[in-house]
Amino acid sequence: MVTDIRYNPMAGFTAMIAVLLMAIGTVFVFSADANVKHELDLQRFMEYPELRQVLYFPLACIIMYTVSIFDYRKLSLSNGWRNSPVIYLLVLSIVLLILVLIPGVGTEKNYARRWFIIPAGPIGKISFQPSELAKWATIFFLAAVCDKFGTGIRSFWKRFAPICAVVGLAVGLIIIEDFGTAAFIALLAFLMLIIAGAKWWHILAPLLFGALAFFTALISSPPRMRRIAAFLSPDKWNDSAAYQANQSLIALGSGGLWGKGLGRGICKYGHLPEDTTDFIFAIIGEELGFVGNAVVIGLFVLFVWLGVLVVLRCRDRLGQLLAGGIVLAISIQAAINIGVVTVVLPTKGIPLPFVSAGGTSMLLSSAAVGVLLNIAGQSAPGSVRSKG
Amino acid sequence: MRNVRVTIFFLVLVAAVFLGLAGRCFYLQKFKSKFYIDKSFVQQQSLSSFSPQRGTIYDRRGTILAASNTVLVIKAEPRIIENPEEVSTKLAEVLDMEAGEIYELITKNKKSGYVRIKEDAEADECDRVMGRETESEEAEEPAKDEIIAKKKRKRIHRGIAVESGRRRHYPLGRLVASIVGFTSRDEKQGLEGIEFKYNKELSGSSASSIFLADAGRRPIRLKQRKGVLTDGNGLILTIDSAIQEFTRSALMERYKSYEAESALAVVADPQTGEILAMVSLPDYDPAEAHSVDPNDRRNTALSDEFEPGSIMKPIAMAIGLEAVAVSKNDTIFCENGSYSGKGFGRIGEYRNGFGNLPLRMILVKSSNIGMAKVGQKLGRKRLHDGLEQFGFGKRVGIELSGEADGFLRPVGEWTGYSETRIPFGQEITVTALQLVQAFCVIANGGRLVHPHLVLAMLDNEGNVIEVRRPVPPVGYIIRPDVANWVKDAMVGVVNEGTGKRARLEKWQVFGKTGTANIALKDGKGYSTDDYIASFVAGAPAEEPAVIVLVSIRKPNKRLGKGYTGGVVASPVAAKIIEKTMNYLERQGG
Repeated sequence: MVTDIRYNPMAGFTAMIAVLLMAIGTVFVFSADANVKHELDLQRFMEYPELRQVLYFPLACIIMYTVSIFDYRKLSLSNGWRNSPVIYLLVLSIVLLILVLIPGVGTEKNYARRWFIIPAGPIGKISFQPSELAKWATIFFLAAVCDKFGTGIRSFWKRFAPICAVVGLAVGLIIIEDFGTAAFIALLAFLMLIIAGAKWWHILAPLLFGALAFFTALISSPPRMRRIAAFLSPDKWNDSAAYQANQSLIALGSGGLWGKGLGRGICKYGHLPEDTTDFIFAIIGEELGFVGNAVVIGLFVLFVWLGVLVVLRCRDRLGQLLAGGIVLAISIQAAINIGVVTVVLPTKGIPLPFVSAGGTSMLLSSAAVGVLLNIAGQSAPGSVRSKG
Repeated sequence: MRNVRVTIFFLVLVAAVFLGLAGRCFYLQKFKSKFYIDKSFVQQQSLSSFSPQRGTIYDRRGTILAASNTVLVIKAEPRIIENPEEVSTKLAEVLDMEAGEIYELITKNKKSGYVRIKEDAEADECDRVMGRETESEEAEEPAKDEIIAKKKRKRIHRGIAVESGRRRHYPLGRLVASIVGFTSRDEKQGLEGIEFKYNKELSGSSASSIFLADAGRRPIRLKQRKGVLTDGNGLILTIDSAIQEFTRSALMERYKSYEAESALAVVADPQTGEILAMVSLPDYDPAEAHSVDPNDRRNTALSDEFEPGSIMKPIAMAIGLEAVAVSKNDTIFCENGSYSGKGFGRIGEYRNGFGNLPLRMILVKSSNIGMAKVGQKLGRKRLHDGLEQFGFGKRVGIELSGEADGFLRPVGEWTGYSETRIPFGQEITVTALQLVQAFCVIANGGRLVHPHLVLAMLDNEGNVIEVRRPVPPVGYIIRPDVANWVKDAMVGVVNEGTGKRARLEKWQVFGKTGTANIALKDGKGYSTDDYIASFVAGAPAEEPAVIVLVSIRKPNKRLGKGYTGGVVASPVAAKIIEKTMNYLERQGG
């Protein structure tokens, strides 16, 4: 059951890109959290994103490696529903999504109840975002279930509709508190279904239903409407809703081609909110300029390209669906984040994979890439297969 | 393999999106960079300026005439204030100021990064502006939350802050205002007097630093530093504030009791040209300089031109003697009070005619006809050149602005009237300083000295860096025996002539009265009600230490107390000389 991936350059490159992005992220989280108000106080270790990141970065590498040595076929449903970890993962996510909505169990940050705060003894508290877990659970579930059903996915009532119902449940639970992530998961689910060979007109039905749900969620929330309005007329400088977008543009634009120099950015000093998380890309742009941004984008393009190679070389349907889902999830999330930072898209809280501060996102992404590495290792020509 | 093709299609699509986003970054960071850099400056920079200490001005004995004190200033940064109404209302509650006034200050300089809202603010006003607690702390230990709350207590509004500034003080107030002048409110620019003329030296150079600031406008690091902070130089003036005080109080008494329009007095050292005192009434309080009538701020000793009248006679006589047009023992027939002829009209005396008068008595009795004849003997050219040598018709070069030239007609334009009127002080206008300069020549034995006010300059550690030595003698413009003869005649004026009221027991005074009619505005003739009563004097006669000029414009004739130089001005000069000489004697100077 353990696969040797050491001699596979594709897996190696993929791992390298992920590690490089995490390294860049750690450096910039460190830079972005600089503050004139306080010095680091190690007694409150976990309160500083940059210190958390220093802790999570090696942890993410270990998780990535550990996951990569387990055969991805363990995720298959072919051994029966009860034996697949995918189902347990999905059930766990849905339970957590319900729990997080209960006041007292879930914790509010920025007026959205999205987090579990877990006390972790001497190092303080760890926050955990179940929607991140739900994202990966949904992708893995879709890959596994589409693999199992094969062409049966074309049968609307027997196969397609139940799958949509399960995904719809997860998305519905997330949309209550996190519009952006829900929309993103829904988008990924549709892409996976299309890839899996679902009929176009089958997809229309849930698409219509989904669009309606999202529209309702949108108009029922004034802050969301404000953000959209601000996005449409960003010239209203003083409008607080457009503030983030404007600050993001100032950070990016004032960096110029070469940037102000690592650590020499100014926007992070309270001008640009969420500088360590959703807007880390703007800080990179300010401090390293277009060059820094181009490197980050280049790494993601390379990641996509390697993903294409993995999918092409993979011999079985589960691997193809899983690899496609994982690469799409990470790259689309990155594209959305960069789109928000460059004010091509309205502001929403989606982090830049690997780079943004945030333990849950980073650890789970690493685990997903671990799965991808395993697929890459097994599918490349000349690799050793050792089915356990 | 359909699913693989679709997957790859999506992935290629995502890659294309990435390239598009890279393009977007390039657009923002290459072509829009300048725009966003400018935008970032507005919110990310804060300026702090360090102003130099303005130089102190001392009198010749070290008394401070002008100095800068440190004060608390409440300042605003209008360009980051989004709601001036709200800010000014809030500030008005805390400061003792009208909201409208604050609003105007902020909106008037909207683009500016710095405006002073209130200078010389009280410490508790500043505390309230900065959101600090002013009430005394409670006895109980405050809880931890409260400490945090206190730290977080915000200043009254973004863009309002307190800094320490400087303010100019003039300890002697009105006494030397017309000499020292005053500065702008921020004391960066001298606006009048020595403060204006020596602004560059007194100001020093300021430095400012542009800081990059965080959202709370706390500085992060230095971006740019401009200039080097150098304190201004100090000045020592020739003025002696004690003599200035004698002069002012003596003059003030006459100025008031005669309801004069204005009055001036100058005390100078005839050996060096140093001005020991210079008073011009009415005067003003430099603390209110910005609101007083600009007319009251004029220093009439240098800005007012007037026809001097008889006070001019000793000078014309000296020119005549120097040119040997007349000699000391000559006697001139003074026509029994009426002298007329072709080309110069009719000349009369002030009272009675005199008949034959020796030269000396022409000065003592102040005969117009005698002087007219001296002028005729001299001729136009020699009289004109002599007056020019004495410094008439051009500025004496005092270190103050606003000095008038005086009017001496070019010799080509002279008529028979000119050569007969100028010797007794008509058809020529002079400033008080020009008269002082001319009589210094008489007093010091014929040497021209320039009146001046600055004795020395001090660097910012108090060392003398530039000594304003007495201006080196331009040369003897009259022979010492001529100067001494004229001085002796002026002793006669005081002892037996029109200047009897200036006699002193202790000191031998020499002097000359002058009662000039004021020319009518239309230029035709003279007013019969308006006079300028002047008296020039010096003492002691043997070796003059001071020259005093007193000139009182338009004493009220209707009071019936007299209006002539002898009556109105000479007692003032005597009082000044007496006090000054006694004072100098005590000082050992």
